Amino acid sequence: MVQSLKFRILLIVALLLGISGAVVAEDITLRFVVWDGNEGLGAMRKTLAEFEKRNPGIHVKLENADYNTYFQKLLTQYAANVAPDVAMMDPANFQKFAKRGALEPLNPFFSQTLGFDITEYYKPIVDAHSFRGDLFVLPRDIAPIGLIYYNKRAFTEAGIPFPDGTWTWDFKERPELREKDFLWVVRKLTKRSGGKTSQWGFVPAWPGAFLDLLVFSQGARYADRQEAPTKITYDDPRVVAAHKFLADLYLKDKLLPSPTELSSSIQLTASQVFSQGRAAMYQSGIWDAKDIRDVNKYGTPGFFEWDIALAPGFRDGTRAMPTGGSGYAMMSSTPYKKEAWKVIQWMAGEPGMTALAQLGVAQPAIRRLARQAPWLPSDKLPPEARYPPSRILTDTAVPTVVFGPSADYWPEVSGLVTAKTDAIWLGSMTAEQAIKEGQANGQMRLNSIVGQRAMPNFNWTAGVFVVLGGLLAIIGWVYLPESRRKLSFREKRENRASYMFLSPWIVGMLVFTLGPMLLSLLMSMADWDIIQPAKWRGIGNFAEAFVDDPRFWKSFAVTGIYTLFAVPLGIATSLGLALLLNLKFRGIEVFRTFFYMPALASAVAGSLIWRKIFQPDGGLLNTFIYGSTGHGNFLGLGSLLSHVSGSKDAANWLGNEHLALPAFVFMSLWGAGGGMVILLAGLQSIPTYYYESATLDGATSWGRFRAITLPLLSPSLFFVLITGVIGSFQVFTQAFVMTKGGPNDATRFYMYHLYDQAFANLRMGYASALAWCLFAVILLFTLLQFRLNKGVYYEADLR
Amino acid sequence: MKSQPSFKRHVNQERDNWFWPVFLERTTKAIALLLLVGGALMFFLPFLTSITMSLKSPEEIAKSASWDLPKSPTLANFKEVLTNPNVSFPRFFQNTVTIAVLSTLGVVLSSSMVAYAFARLKFVGRDKLFIILLSTMMLPGIVTMIPTYLLYKELRWVNTFYPLIVPAWFGGGAFNIFLLRQYFMGIPRELDEAAYLDGASHFVIWSRVLLPLSKPALATVGIFAFIGSWRDFMGPLIYLNDVDKQTLEVGLASYNALRAEQWHLLMAGSVLVTIPLVVLFFLGQRYFTSGIVMGGVK
Repeated sequence: MVQSLKFRILLIVALLLGISGAVVAEDITLRFVVWDGNEGLGAMRKTLAEFEKRNPGIHVKLENADYNTYFQKLLTQYAANVAPDVAMMDPANFQKFAKRGALEPLNPFFSQTLGFDITEYYKPIVDAHSFRGDLFVLPRDIAPIGLIYYNKRAFTEAGIPFPDGTWTWDFKERPELREKDFLWVVRKLTKRSGGKTSQWGFVPAWPGAFLDLLVFSQGARYADRQEAPTKITYDDPRVVAAHKFLADLYLKDKLLPSPTELSSSIQLTASQVFSQGRAAMYQSGIWDAKDIRDVNKYGTPGFFEWDIALAPGFRDGTRAMPTGGSGYAMMSSTPYKKEAWKVIQWMAGEPGMTALAQLGVAQPAIRRLARQAPWLPSDKLPPEARYPPSRILTDTAVPTVVFGPSADYWPEVSGLVTAKTDAIWLGSMTAEQAIKEGQANGQMRLNSIVGQRAMPNFNWTAGVFVVLGGLLAIIGWVYLPESRRKLSFREKRENRASYMFLSPWIVGMLVFTLGPMLLSLLMSMADWDIIQPAKWRGIGNFAEAFVDDPRFWKSFAVTGIYTLFAVPLGIATSLGLALLLNLKFRGIEVFRTFFYMPALASAVAGSLIWRKIFQPDGGLLNTFIYGSTGHGNFLGLGSLLSHVSGSKDAANWLGNEHLALPAFVFMSLWGAGGGMVILLAGLQSIPTYYYESATLDGATSWGRFRAITLPLLSPSLFFVLITGVIGSFQVFTQAFVMTKGGPNDATRFYMYHLYDQAFANLRMGYASALAWCLFAVILLFTLLQFRLNKGVYYEADLR
Repeated sequence: MKSQPSFKRHVNQERDNWFWPVFLERTTKAIALLLLVGGALMFFLPFLTSITMSLKSPEEIAKSASWDLPKSPTLANFKEVLTNPNVSFPRFFQNTVTIAVLSTLGVVLSSSMVAYAFARLKFVGRDKLFIILLSTMMLPGIVTMIPTYLLYKELRWVNTFYPLIVPAWFGGGAFNIFLLRQYFMGIPRELDEAAYLDGASHFVIWSRVLLPLSKPALATVGIFAFIGSWRDFMGPLIYLNDVDKQTLEVGLASYNALRAEQWHLLMAGSVLVTIPLVVLFFLGQRYFTSGIVMGGVK
């Protein structure tokens, strides 16, 4: 009876499982990854819920990563064959994937979909997402960066009619055109009093935004071709002229706030200079409208009327502007192609675009939707939500947009040029000179990319032999020299016990660490773009690093100099703090916590605040050095700094080539809390009776420090030194967040260079070679330190 | 601080004067206090700025300098961060605590074991193994990321907490092992020799003699490991896909989206993420600065 009951229950359970299994098998789940955050995510989730209701059996899991790390994660997943099914892409990045076969061409899908019409989409953004005639990304939004936000109050006050977009610009002011001449308007709107500018006539969101406008509207481009450029054309006289013109506006006419001044006046983003009424015009994309609405709040006392206008054309009336945009792509690895297409069509179609348009940040890529509510303000909206009233201009602007070259290698090549041209805005190089050097560097790299010969496939058999040989060599190196010796019983016992204690590490090392390390060693002999199978390059990567890559040596020097200063200064600070915090004060715990705080606080907040501290005008550091008047000279530091920087102005810490690295060293001292904790723990472990007896013997405090504290602390100090050097050779985050390696590669740390190669240029093989070079250098340094530091005193020395 | 013997030697005639030693002691203390207060202010500045910004409305953030105190402080940002359904902080908090606690336990336990062997025992290949241990810190993680990811994928660990917890139980990282090894080597050997002669096994010496003596170092390693795991960004970002499995640090990045930064929420969020660590550090430092009393050893 009992048995049969059990049997029946089992049977029922099995049946239920079987049924549910059958049901589940029909359902599929698609993974969909985007770089939108908070509000965008919320809107998409709602749209997807609607999609799931309409398409029973298809579930969509929305994932996100911020733009800075988005592609790194996607590439890693693709390499491991666990890529999502649908992924967000943009014109600057999709070719990396499309060219290597990681994306599915979408044409076959939309040609089979009834009622789908690709001509509904804006043509420029469709073209920008096409490669060799196929569309790989279905656009969801476009963002022309040639909108001029203008402050109506400022125009009225200056007696200038509101811009209607029919204005033009020329290299010199043309007063006879009055409000139809952009430069005339800018000058009229600029208010100066006592050498300071109280209202800027015009501010671009970033220098490049305005520069692109100047270059493109003259009809010039940065490269000879869009899809696969072979020649960069920065040396085009029109491009050079645009650089010179902009530099003069910044530095000679002071009609535009230079990037330095901008970084001093802005709070967090450039748009706030406009929304606070401190700039009459502001060039950007439509995405800033929301922020401006939030800050320049309708109905509050400081509110001013504002709107947008089209950026000026060149003197002949030609209008062209840079742009952004994005869309959704299907990864070629997805097994559910039909379903993935349905999701893409939904999200980069009316439902998805309407949801994002409601948030007011993403202009629909379907023209029809960009010409109606909710993208355009309707009368039903409350008045505060109707700004800017002329939002229809986002549609008018589209035919004039120009996308930069879409080649996957373009960021690397153009980066070599802009590393030089950045110096123009700072006045440390003339336009001709900077472009000449940059053009040469960029073209050299471009030639070697275009001229690259096909390489043989990676020789895995040889690779496995190399790895096995290496492993055997290591084991032999560890074991052989000592294996001949006969061990006593006690020694054998201790040996066994040791390996038991070591076992977690040894197992972990063999399972988790060793394999990946050896694989990266193999990759250092490969040409591997993460997406396609690796090619064999032998020692070519190392040869390239030593011979052909000038930035290899530059980044090595930067990192070396940084280490040379940051490590000793850091240890000294840590030691000083530890000694101070080892004193007996009431509330010393609070002090210790305060000093450790920088290691706890979020990195984003940290980098923001550091930018504020280093800002040239009114920054905390410069206020200290130059006083609040700006003419002080604290301890002669002011003169010293201008001697180093080669400029008479207040020190521009992060912008000046000669000061950026010292600024990083200074900043590193804030991280002294980590070393402080370790040394504090070391100090606390020194028995107090040592000090007591020494004092009784008449030792001075310096004597006690030298004879007791230092030797007994030396193990901790040695630890801080070794790990400090290792860490400092691998400094990365600050450069990544704060300077992107600039200015003129002054903060291009070795790790930054390496990261750039690995995930921006998709040269994982070369990056691995760089990593192993670094490994060798650090190992050498560490061994050297072990040799030199025989002076470390251990209470219980090794036998 | 006791009176200064050196001083007595130099200034003979003031041998019996109480004034100078006390004055000197007081001045040193005052200078030290001044340094502490000034330094603490400088080190606290970044966090202070986050706090003040987190108390401002977006409008005020745009219109006031970062250093200015909020004119009309508001807790609205905190409320929004804690209740936002798009970026669920309570859920992320739970995940982060789980990962941080489990990995910290693993680090403390396993790294102290391994460090014991390196500091106290003699075995074949010890010095070379130690170099190998250190060398695992020297290769940039960027180039081992994809191979490691492949490995975890083969283990079916992607999109689980395992990659963030399990490795901690296998050695706990070269940094921690090295730190504990240095510390263990500073503890006089007489203690464990005595235990050894009494017939204690190495396991007993490790667990009953060395560990209790190394509370400061263990607390240091524990706090480092906890903070490291709490603030880890790359690990959770790469290995966890589902939004409801994410950690606080990754969740924070949601407020820093491209062209849609929300500074008020970002700052409120980062203050919330940091507070548990501040509390932990404040409480934990009692252990790593407890000092050890070994009066009877020598």
